[in-house]
Amino acid sequence: MKNLHSGYGQEPPRMGVGLLQFLIFGLFCLFAVRLWYLQIHLGQVFLEKSRNNQLRTEYIFAPRGFLRDRNGELLAVNEPAFVLGLVREDCDDIPATLNKISEWTGIPLERLKDIYARNKPKVKLFEPLTLVPDLDFEHIAKIEGGSLRWPGVEILSRTRRKYIYGHLLSHVLGYVAEANEAEMQADPSLSLGDFVGKQGLENSLDVRLRGTKGRRMIEVDVSGRRLSEELQREPKAGEEVFLSIDLGLQQLGHKVLEGKAGSVVVMDPDTGEIYALVSEPSYDSNTFTTGLSSAQWAELRDNPMHPLQNRATQGVYPPGSVFKLLMAADALHENAIDPKETVQCTGELALGNHVFRCWKKGGHGTVNFQRALVESCDTYFYKLGMKLGVDRISSYAKLAGLGALTGIDLPHEKTGLIPSREWKLKRFGVRWTKGEDLNLAIGQGYTGTTPLQIARLVAALINGGKILKPQLMRGIAPVVQSTLPLTQEHAAILKRAMVATVEDPHGTCRRALTPGVVVGAKTGSAQVVRLTDDLKRMGDSVPYKYRDHAWMAGFGERGNRRFVVVAMVEHGMHGASGAGPVVKAMLNALFLGKKELPPRDVEGAERPAEAAARVGVDAVEPQFPDVSHEPGGAQ
Amino acid sequence: MSPIDRRMLYHVNWALVGVMGALFLIGVLNLYSASGVRVGEGVSVEPYYQKQVIWGVIGLFGLVAFMSFDYRRLSAVAWPLYAVTLLLLLAVPFLGKTIYGARRWLDFGLFSFQPSELAKFSVLLLGARILSVEPERLDLKRLAYILGLGLLPTLMIIKQPDLGTGMLVLLLLGGLILYRGIRPWLFRSLCVLVPVLLPLAWFGLKDYQKRRILAFLDPATDPLGSGYHILQSEIAMGSGRIFGKGFMAGTQSQLRFLPEKHTDFAVAVLGEEWGFFGMMVLLTLFCAFLYQIAIVARDAKDPFDSYLAAGVFFYFFWQVLINMGMVLGLMPVVGVPLPFISYGGSATLVNFSLLGLVLNISMRRFLFKSN
Repeated sequence: MKNLHSGYGQEPPRMGVGLLQFLIFGLFCLFAVRLWYLQIHLGQVFLEKSRNNQLRTEYIFAPRGFLRDRNGELLAVNEPAFVLGLVREDCDDIPATLNKISEWTGIPLERLKDIYARNKPKVKLFEPLTLVPDLDFEHIAKIEGGSLRWPGVEILSRTRRKYIYGHLLSHVLGYVAEANEAEMQADPSLSLGDFVGKQGLENSLDVRLRGTKGRRMIEVDVSGRRLSEELQREPKAGEEVFLSIDLGLQQLGHKVLEGKAGSVVVMDPDTGEIYALVSEPSYDSNTFTTGLSSAQWAELRDNPMHPLQNRATQGVYPPGSVFKLLMAADALHENAIDPKETVQCTGELALGNHVFRCWKKGGHGTVNFQRALVESCDTYFYKLGMKLGVDRISSYAKLAGLGALTGIDLPHEKTGLIPSREWKLKRFGVRWTKGEDLNLAIGQGYTGTTPLQIARLVAALINGGKILKPQLMRGIAPVVQSTLPLTQEHAAILKRAMVATVEDPHGTCRRALTPGVVVGAKTGSAQVVRLTDDLKRMGDSVPYKYRDHAWMAGFGERGNRRFVVVAMVEHGMHGASGAGPVVKAMLNALFLGKKELPPRDVEGAERPAEAAARVGVDAVEPQFPDVSHEPGGAQ
Repeated sequence: MSPIDRRMLYHVNWALVGVMGALFLIGVLNLYSASGVRVGEGVSVEPYYQKQVIWGVIGLFGLVAFMSFDYRRLSAVAWPLYAVTLLLLLAVPFLGKTIYGARRWLDFGLFSFQPSELAKFSVLLLGARILSVEPERLDLKRLAYILGLGLLPTLMIIKQPDLGTGMLVLLLLGGLILYRGIRPWLFRSLCVLVPVLLPLAWFGLKDYQKRRILAFLDPATDPLGSGYHILQSEIAMGSGRIFGKGFMAGTQSQLRFLPEKHTDFAVAVLGEEWGFFGMMVLLTLFCAFLYQIAIVARDAKDPFDSYLAAGVFFYFFWQVLINMGMVLGLMPVVGVPLPFISYGGSATLVNFSLLGLVLNISMRRFLFKSN
């Protein structure tokens, strides 16, 4: 040991000792400053971040509000549904499990893989990923039996919207479906898997029906597993909404239009409440809530009869002779005619080098104002058209709410079209011709209207000129959007003429005659194509797609109850024979309680749960004749 | 000269023993909290703290053992130990067992053993032996010779791969060299050259090591990998604020957001639960602890003693610097534990034993003086 002891440096290196002390000092300063920076300077920021790590907000589903008809009949409810989910964390072999699920449910493996890949990024490892949105009982039994050997497969209970009369009200109620990316971005209260209204009232009343989701705060660990939870807000159920629709009447409308394409609108002319809004053919709202397959969707979309279209608000048709009602009102308003004045109808009218024909060969002879309407004499209205001119006609038509949205609470309504000089110049770059005045006068040419607009026009003619917003909900105060200039005296003349159209032996609307009820109406047949001589010669055997659309617009009145009924049947040929029976059936139901009711439509409602609902509807029927106006519907 | 003299007991450096005891107790207490995992409303505690106490007792035996012999005999075994270390390191790639993708352990049946742990001690010993007889400040030739001796085991360890321990071995030797001192011109040129040459080492790193360094420079590039570790560790630290969230109340640790919370990131649990206040107490204790060792190195009787103590100083200093630097987001993620605070059986044993050596040096100084 001595050799070492007598070594070189007897003393430890001074520099070295200084170095050690310097290092301790540096260590202290470095970390003290850093700790101050992290814990005091940024402490609040990091505290926030640690809370974000730890706490998650979870929303509790609020039941969607029920929809009922005006008599309280349930139309849309929520019912439990079973879905098949896969918890990835618990699943040992995902491809094999998907294969097994395909075997259980008969869904092609490719489709399952597709759904799996699409939802995977949106769902956490320990949460169930929905693979099959709607399981029937047979599958549930099969899967319950086998799921023990397939960890991760879960059957979950969810709430699903159910439309009790899927086909009857699809155009009014619309449907709900899972919210898409865009909707979730627009409304931060929506989250994945929430249902929103996509069409119809479900869409326009979405916020009211949806209610408010409850909220709870959950404490999670790093894998997202919940450790504790605290309720912060109770869910608030959506509002229950009573429609103005009368289920029985709606059903009848579908029945009488069965096999045809067309629309019926029944409206209270004093309140604007809609009692029936029928569009045939229709679809079943329920098919959308379970998630439509692309084949189902393609079938609906490409169906030549366009079942998705709501013909009452989206179908734009030339009004044909129904437009003569507006012409007559305009003529009276402008004092352009004396109702007693007569016109000679020879069956044709020459203007320039073109001959305009009356629908009746050989003409009506001498016609005055009332007879012209009763027999729908074209010549009388050709002359009226020449006298009034496009400017006055189109501005009056616009006052009547034609060519504009009615404001009904349904999405994607169409405006239709009332042509004007300016419109034609802009649209075609050509000036308006005199001959077009004549076409306009009988509701042909460019003019396009929806059945709902015509119903509103007829309502205005008998309610003193009030243009009402059509209401789909019961008991809402009427909204007068504008007023059609029409004196009481002129209204009376018009009404008398409409009633005569039904009651006169020569009237075009004799079919609508209903005993004990004052009925007034006007027919129309709207040309789909310019009739060639060939087509004319074929008479009633014209091919379907070239046939005229049939209109009948009218009203019925007994005591203090009155209703406007408008029927439009596509390619129904003649107003009286095509649309007349429809109007007649509705008037019978409204005033006489006569309804040849078909068995209740239970398409899309195959479960026994609907039996109760059926009884309920039956009980409502006898009320028809005695039903008085709903609150707010008083005259 | 008897190995144990009754008089020696009067000369035990009780200050160092006290600081060491305080650090160990804080470590066990913190480990109890760090092993807790929230399950529902309750907390389940894994028994790491118990194991740590058991290792502490074993460490105490190591401490007494290293106090009870004449450490100057160690000088004689410096070279043979170095040779054995190299042989064992050489054996690891062929006979070692692989855990977590790294081949670091030699299995001796009853226990596993990491030759890299031994490497720290044998390099410390060899460094002390060579440097204590170095007549002058080192010139380039001597520096290259000594560094070369250190680099040999270092590279073998880094290849295992274990970047943390490898770096520690080299840094330990580097510290000792600076303690001895090098020629001023050499020091100046190294100050310029090392930062220039360091990037070249980049090409020798493994992919995961490169990723860690990149994640350190920009945690956003790897938010779920080691960037995530840094981020969660900073959140734990920072959210403790001044007085912390309270014992057993750290959400980052209890809910397992903090990774490796009973080993490398254990000090983040302390920061979360005791805040700036607790961290300053810990930092002060570490500085006092290092200062006591530095004092022993300064007052040592002869150079070899002094270099041994300085080596132990660097052994602890670098670990504190690297571990806390990593936890506080000042350094990339490197697997270096914090002495006394991180859980680790063999590390506890080594720590206590090395302190036994320092206490040995400290008390025999008086013994020799009295001679």
